Amino acid sequence: MADLGGAGLSPLGEAAGIHAGGVLGSLARAQYAALARLRWRMFQNSLRSSKGALELGARTVSYVIYCVGGLGIGTGAGFATYALASGHQWRFLPILFWVLAFLWQVIPIMLASFQEQFDLGILLRFPVRFGSYLLLYLVFGLVDISTILGGLCCLGIWVGMAFARPDLLLWTTLALAVFAAFNILLVRAIFAWIERWLAQRRTREILGAVFMVALLSMQLLNPALRQKRHSGRGDHQQDLQQMQEMKSRYGPWLHRAKAVQMWLPPGLAAESLQQAAKHQPAPGLGALGVLGLYGLLAGGVLAVRLKAEYRGENLGVAPSRGNAAPGRSRAAVGARDAAPAGGQMLGGSGPIAAIIEKDIRALMRTLPLLYAIGGPLVMVLVFASIFRRNGGMQGTGFPLALPVCMVYAQLGFTSVFYNSLGTEGAGIQVYFLSPTPFRTVMLAKNLLHAFLFGLVALVAVTMTLMRLGIPDMAVVAATVAWLLFSLPCNLTAGNLFSLKMPYRMNPGRITRQRGSQANALLSLLAQVCILAVGAAVFALGWFLDRMWLAAPVFLILAVGAVYVWRRVMDNVDAIAYERRDALIATLMKEG
Amino acid sequence: METAAIQTYGLTRRFGALTAVEDVTLSVAPGQFFGFLGPNGAGKSTTIKMLTGLLEPTSGTMAILGQPFSAGALDLKRQIGVVPEGMALLGRLTATEYLHFVGRMYGLDRETTNRRTQELLEFMQLANETKKLVTDFSHGMQKKLALAAAVIHGPKVLFLDEPFEGVDAIAAGMLKTMLTGMINRGATIFLTTHVLEIVERLCSHVAIISKGRLVANGSIEDLRAGVASTLPGAEQEQRLTMEEIFLAIVGAGGQQEQAQELTWLT
Repeated sequence: MADLGGAGLSPLGEAAGIHAGGVLGSLARAQYAALARLRWRMFQNSLRSSKGALELGARTVSYVIYCVGGLGIGTGAGFATYALASGHQWRFLPILFWVLAFLWQVIPIMLASFQEQFDLGILLRFPVRFGSYLLLYLVFGLVDISTILGGLCCLGIWVGMAFARPDLLLWTTLALAVFAAFNILLVRAIFAWIERWLAQRRTREILGAVFMVALLSMQLLNPALRQKRHSGRGDHQQDLQQMQEMKSRYGPWLHRAKAVQMWLPPGLAAESLQQAAKHQPAPGLGALGVLGLYGLLAGGVLAVRLKAEYRGENLGVAPSRGNAAPGRSRAAVGARDAAPAGGQMLGGSGPIAAIIEKDIRALMRTLPLLYAIGGPLVMVLVFASIFRRNGGMQGTGFPLALPVCMVYAQLGFTSVFYNSLGTEGAGIQVYFLSPTPFRTVMLAKNLLHAFLFGLVALVAVTMTLMRLGIPDMAVVAATVAWLLFSLPCNLTAGNLFSLKMPYRMNPGRITRQRGSQANALLSLLAQVCILAVGAAVFALGWFLDRMWLAAPVFLILAVGAVYVWRRVMDNVDAIAYERRDALIATLMKEG
Repeated sequence: METAAIQTYGLTRRFGALTAVEDVTLSVAPGQFFGFLGPNGAGKSTTIKMLTGLLEPTSGTMAILGQPFSAGALDLKRQIGVVPEGMALLGRLTATEYLHFVGRMYGLDRETTNRRTQELLEFMQLANETKKLVTDFSHGMQKKLALAAAVIHGPKVLFLDEPFEGVDAIAAGMLKTMLTGMINRGATIFLTTHVLEIVERLCSHVAIISKGRLVANGSIEDLRAGVASTLPGAEQEQRLTMEEIFLAIVGAGGQQEQAQELTWLT
């Protein structure tokens, strides 16, 4: 910001500008220019090292992938819009907008660990207005994955409508613009508040309990909603009868849901287009107006959160109730903390137990990792529900639903496996200063991660089996064997990535991480390779109609994977000491 | 002849074209409180990093307590305590948890670790902060915790990189007492600091590094006499302060004049 003086503002003029200018005042504009220059310089400086060039390459590849994905979905949305608009099937248009809204809000949850954003917290020391802070927050958010995908979907709908009903182009443009603005504001407001809540131990515990209750509720509702399984295939008469029953049972609910959704943003966006198509501009404008109000509401919710950040709130600050009570004597505090239960979790006293204990404590206080591990479990439930709707694993359904759900549960561990030193920060130096070999450090981390993965896999299996029933035992055996193969593979690759391509993780944030795109992309690539091997073996068993063959093949592969893991572990000390300078510098880097 | 607690021969570290530390040869006797001084960017922290295994020297050798030292010398590391430049703290732990962790990383058993943790927290006046995460500590509190972690295993050689930075006067006095006590019990302390008053009060020997090269090395009295001998006759009688000795050796007089030219500063 020293550049501001160079922009022609004297120190006194700067002070005056704070009061005189708004978010587009002279001071604000000079600040935007300084910030743009800063970003440009940071970008240029990052290219000085080979790591920076690698990052740029990875980032480019990532954005190409997102854009290709977005264009694919957008093309689909465009064709769907064209079909609905030209066929006058306006009543189905809300479904399109609901799908779009769902994608817009869910994609960031799925890809949070792959997104990097500029942390605007650095601006707080400068005379930046809140309006400018908010504006910059929104502008920087425009290049995130959900906005790119959502924007391309909107473009697809716009093009579809342009071909089907060119007379509605202005309406479509307006409706899509308001709808997009609403989604951008909502997704950012949701994340900002989730981060706020999860930053405090008490609210984290409450939300964790709510999450578990929600999962259990779904499982308890499951038997109630469960339809009678029909034993044979092709019982068409029975199917029709069941559909009729469902229609009469859920019909009134669907009508009510339809009436309610019309007052919600996706319904309102569709309604405005529908009314415009009927040449009824007044109700169309009304729907757009309400949609705009939703946007303002989402913006307001976001602004409240950002205002607290702007005032200097630090999400890392522990809740005051967690501090020692003022009335407690030092002796009382000391006595409590001296008790063995106060500071010990595991029985052992060596470095491995110490590292595991430390990592468990740190994990419970590290938002991005908790989120990364827990988030995919929700998606496992979603996938299980989709598979269930298609008939479950028994009968007509997809028999490989269990391994697919396991794959998704494992994806949540990407940042845990592949950046296992990311949360150490300056503490990484302890490992190099202490008389503990680095091999021991990585072994302790691998043991903990394997245990955690086992735990999550168990939860995912339970959820999947409760939703879908027990599959063929050959599939169960193959899935377990695949996990035994993929776990050491991931740990091996993860150890190498953690030592060679680490990045510092901000433990208090889900988004706005200054992550390594190269790490994210290459770790994903490694995961894809491991999955490809798994898919090939499953496919082999499937096509040969000998699924039992998959388990022994995976077990043989697992033996090889464990051997490679051991070889890598034997070299961990050499790699760590060779890279200690870069490792310490990277993990200690602030901001 | 007594074995040196810290000994380096031709210690050099280069970062590409930049030579951060060049040909540093020094010896610190056991039980010595050794001050390692230098202006910003002179190479003090780089030297400490090499001496503690955080950075590999480009060339040269080191010995701690008479044994060759390298990053893999795990037994020697048990004898060394360090407050490094970044303090090596783990922000998501409480002070108690952090000290437990460090103690066990140095091979202490649980009971000893617990006892020493309590004693250190009491001594550092952090016992009332056991529920607070380290990340929420003030800078001074973090320094005290880093120092507690550096001594929890009872090291024979202690490396301190700016241990008094941000520490209040009461705590600084307390730390000085603790460090002097360690020296009296036979430990060796290698200290870098910009607070020259502390060096004058605590250290018996000093080395000064400038632009990566060692420019002075010896007891404070030797350095004082050496600098005084270069002064005009009348000034030789004055007792020079550590600051005057330092400025005379490093030659930073010109920068003070430059500071006086910033007339726009109110």
